Amino acid sequence: MSEVQSYTTPHSQLDQGKGRKPFSVLSRIFGKKGAAAWLGGAAVLLFFVLPILKLILLSFQGDEGLTLAHYNELLQQKRFWSTLRSTAIIVAGSTVLSLVLGIATAWLIAYTDVPRKRMLHMAILLCFILPSYILTLSWSSFMGTQGIVAKLLEGLSPGLMPWSMYSMGGIVFVMGIHHFPLVYLLTLDVFRKIPRDLEWAARAGGAGRIETFRRITLPVALPGLTAGGLLVFLASLDNFGIPAFLGTPVNISVLSTLIYEEIIGFGPSAFARGASLSVLLGLAAIMGSLLQWLLLRKSHASDTIQPDVSPRYVLGKAGKWVSALLWSFLLLVTVVPLSSMLSMSLKKAYGLGLTVSNLTLHNYRYILFENPRVWQAIQNSLVLSGVTMLVCLLIGSCFAYMRVRKPSRLNRLAELAASVPYTLPGIVFALSMILVWMEPVPGWNPGIYGTMAILFIAYICRFMILQVRSGVTAFMQVDSSMEEAARISGAGLWRSWTAVLLPLTLPGILTGGLLVFLTALTELTVSALLYSSGSQTIGVTIFSFEQAGETLYSTALSSLIVVLIAAGGALVLLVQKWAARKGVRS
Amino acid sequence: MSIEMKQISKTFGSSQALHFIDLTIEEGEFVAILGPSGCGKTTLLRILAGFEQPTTGHISLNGKVVAGDGILLPPEKRRIGMVFQSFALWPHMNVTEHIRFPIRTHKETPAKIKQNEQERVSQVLELTGLSKLALRMPHELSGGQKQRVAIARAIAPEPSLLLMDEPLSSLDAMLRMDMRREIQDVHRRTRSAIVYVTHDQGEALAMADRIVVMKDGRIEQAGTPQDIYLHPQTEFVAKFVSKANLVEGRWVNNRFVPQESDGVDWPGLQIATHFKNHGLYPVRPDQFILAKEGGAGLSGEVINVQFQGKEFHYNIRCGSRNWEVISPLSFGMNEKVALSLAKD
Repeated sequence: MSEVQSYTTPHSQLDQGKGRKPFSVLSRIFGKKGAAAWLGGAAVLLFFVLPILKLILLSFQGDEGLTLAHYNELLQQKRFWSTLRSTAIIVAGSTVLSLVLGIATAWLIAYTDVPRKRMLHMAILLCFILPSYILTLSWSSFMGTQGIVAKLLEGLSPGLMPWSMYSMGGIVFVMGIHHFPLVYLLTLDVFRKIPRDLEWAARAGGAGRIETFRRITLPVALPGLTAGGLLVFLASLDNFGIPAFLGTPVNISVLSTLIYEEIIGFGPSAFARGASLSVLLGLAAIMGSLLQWLLLRKSHASDTIQPDVSPRYVLGKAGKWVSALLWSFLLLVTVVPLSSMLSMSLKKAYGLGLTVSNLTLHNYRYILFENPRVWQAIQNSLVLSGVTMLVCLLIGSCFAYMRVRKPSRLNRLAELAASVPYTLPGIVFALSMILVWMEPVPGWNPGIYGTMAILFIAYICRFMILQVRSGVTAFMQVDSSMEEAARISGAGLWRSWTAVLLPLTLPGILTGGLLVFLTALTELTVSALLYSSGSQTIGVTIFSFEQAGETLYSTALSSLIVVLIAAGGALVLLVQKWAARKGVRS
Repeated sequence: MSIEMKQISKTFGSSQALHFIDLTIEEGEFVAILGPSGCGKTTLLRILAGFEQPTTGHISLNGKVVAGDGILLPPEKRRIGMVFQSFALWPHMNVTEHIRFPIRTHKETPAKIKQNEQERVSQVLELTGLSKLALRMPHELSGGQKQRVAIARAIAPEPSLLLMDEPLSSLDAMLRMDMRREIQDVHRRTRSAIVYVTHDQGEALAMADRIVVMKDGRIEQAGTPQDIYLHPQTEFVAKFVSKANLVEGRWVNNRFVPQESDGVDWPGLQIATHFKNHGLYPVRPDQFILAKEGGAGLSGEVINVQFQGKEFHYNIRCGSRNWEVISPLSFGMNEKVALSLAKD
């Protein structure tokens, strides 16, 4: 196809929007749009839809036809009911904690003139950026019998013991502080988009500050707040690291850890029982996200409102105190436990005091040089997350481009399908991956399960949507007329991408890629079910150390990972700075 | 370059945006396509640019078919400049880079421009009054300056056809008047044909050599601004372009007798047959003459007045009808008046 472009099929231009163009990347590659659409559709079905169908099917499959036997069996187990109970308590408790912390911090950052907001913002996000199991480890070392708190209490009065993290309360607490940044992020935007004249009108109508917040701000923000709460609800259902580290040693199980134990325990009908548990957990998750979607759709009108970032309440003299309180809370929640974990990792032996003579780098030497499995895990994780990032960058960005410029029912469905693996709890998704790739076609085992290959597939499927979302955001900010201006100025497809589209979208796309990389690097839940000897990841290795009671090694490896994450975070900031310097703005 | 469009139609799914449009644009001609939103004018422009393909019909530029018969020449291969409604400036390029981009990138740029790139850039900067802003980034420019950059970028490679998609609609009223003059100036100095899409009849009347009025995907009337304004052929053109009142009545031998009037008849030699067939007479607000009650003509009552400086805008109720009238004379609210027709 040189000078002259052949007609594409008319139905490809069904929906009328501003960004229609007669050519697409894929139509050039495949010649016919139909072929590309079919191929994409088939891939979506195979990678995103089939696993879920298999999972559901297995949960109903008996020796002879469909049956409810697995569910019946579940409902009769005492273990199931106690798990359900603790899941409910943990999810509800941590959601409430996250909501309270998230709304309070969001209100302070959005509306008051508390100083150093940018740094506070980063400090708040830190709780969520840290992998949950590392946060857990740092808290268990902080509050443990060897930790700082125990020493302090011992000093106050002999026999005084810190509250054990290995309890329902400990799980609720760590989950709550891990997830509150989610509420914070969503609420911050909601708060900033409430026009301040609404509040002024209430004040003019005679309402005081508190009454204004209670009767105006809160009700207007409610859909956003509820959506934030549902997001935390989903994240808590999904979380595996925290209950696995803190609950399993004291026989507290939640749905995600129960599924893990079923599958690892491998009984005769382990997969079937795991599948039916997964269907129940998945159902709860899907209901939650549906509700969240409905709520957010309702508040869609606020999309066009510019967020108002100037402070609305002057703290005055109280500012210092509020600021000090906020900072000490944030430090106490992350930095103090992390340093406790670090000091633990430097000890010669578990139980020694923290003196110079007891310090050693032995633990680091061991995990890096003397234990080949750790080295391999680090390599595996780096390769896995690197490849995942590249594949997601390429496919995710192309898909995001099509989704923005040529919206159709087909690619909307594809996006929905691609979001399923990330919406489902990780453990559920991992099980569905096993079911599909153990035997993709009945009677044919391609040997994907039990190798690195299944981890590659699972990571790419699970994290693809992260890249798609950031790609969509990036492309949305570039009006299609920018590209058309390049085309009309004589630039072909290639040149309009390199000269206009990529320079404008690269920061957003790369940030998405780094997000995928960092998330994949520290992934635990999916890998815990899918790894095999030789394909263990960083998360799995820390988990195994912890299960074997090798606290010194697990804290050392975790400290290393924190350093890696810090480096990655710095890279993200650099990318954003670079973008800002180039004058790119939406 | 002459542009010929033959039997162009366009369907999106089940809705038909254009119905078999025939239109020829001569070299150097300034054509305004005028119509309300949704009339298909932007679709027509995008088909000309090559962003859309016509469902039927064909387009030829200088005798060369660029669209139709299974052919679609992509936009970058037509020698066309385009000014977008939202300016579409690239946030990461400064003013000079915007102008240089099409000169360097366009394969159809004449060799003499390509070789003297720097000279052409400063020439275009000067022509659009941007010389002092050559190194500014888009976010450092005002709305009018952005629009000038968009025009500069479009004319830089000397395209033989310049497309403008409502270029003034995102500017404020004062600036719009200034930019009209500047666009006319650019047209005079470049002599390239311009197709200018707008919903503002004032812009079309002020600048175009020829106006094409569109409605519901069809050409309603085409002609010179005077022709369109003074001699509308359809009710839509009379109302949309001339803001005319459509007076109902009877036609008797080329003379018009308005309803609810006695002893009044108006001469109608120049009125289009469409109105004669429908018993209508289009009267522009400035064609009415207002006089005190008791004078000749239709009798009415002032029901609203707006003072506009050199004239008054009235709403006059005549029987069950409500006419818009412009008059230099002052009348009070509820005053009884007589309406007659100005002599041409």
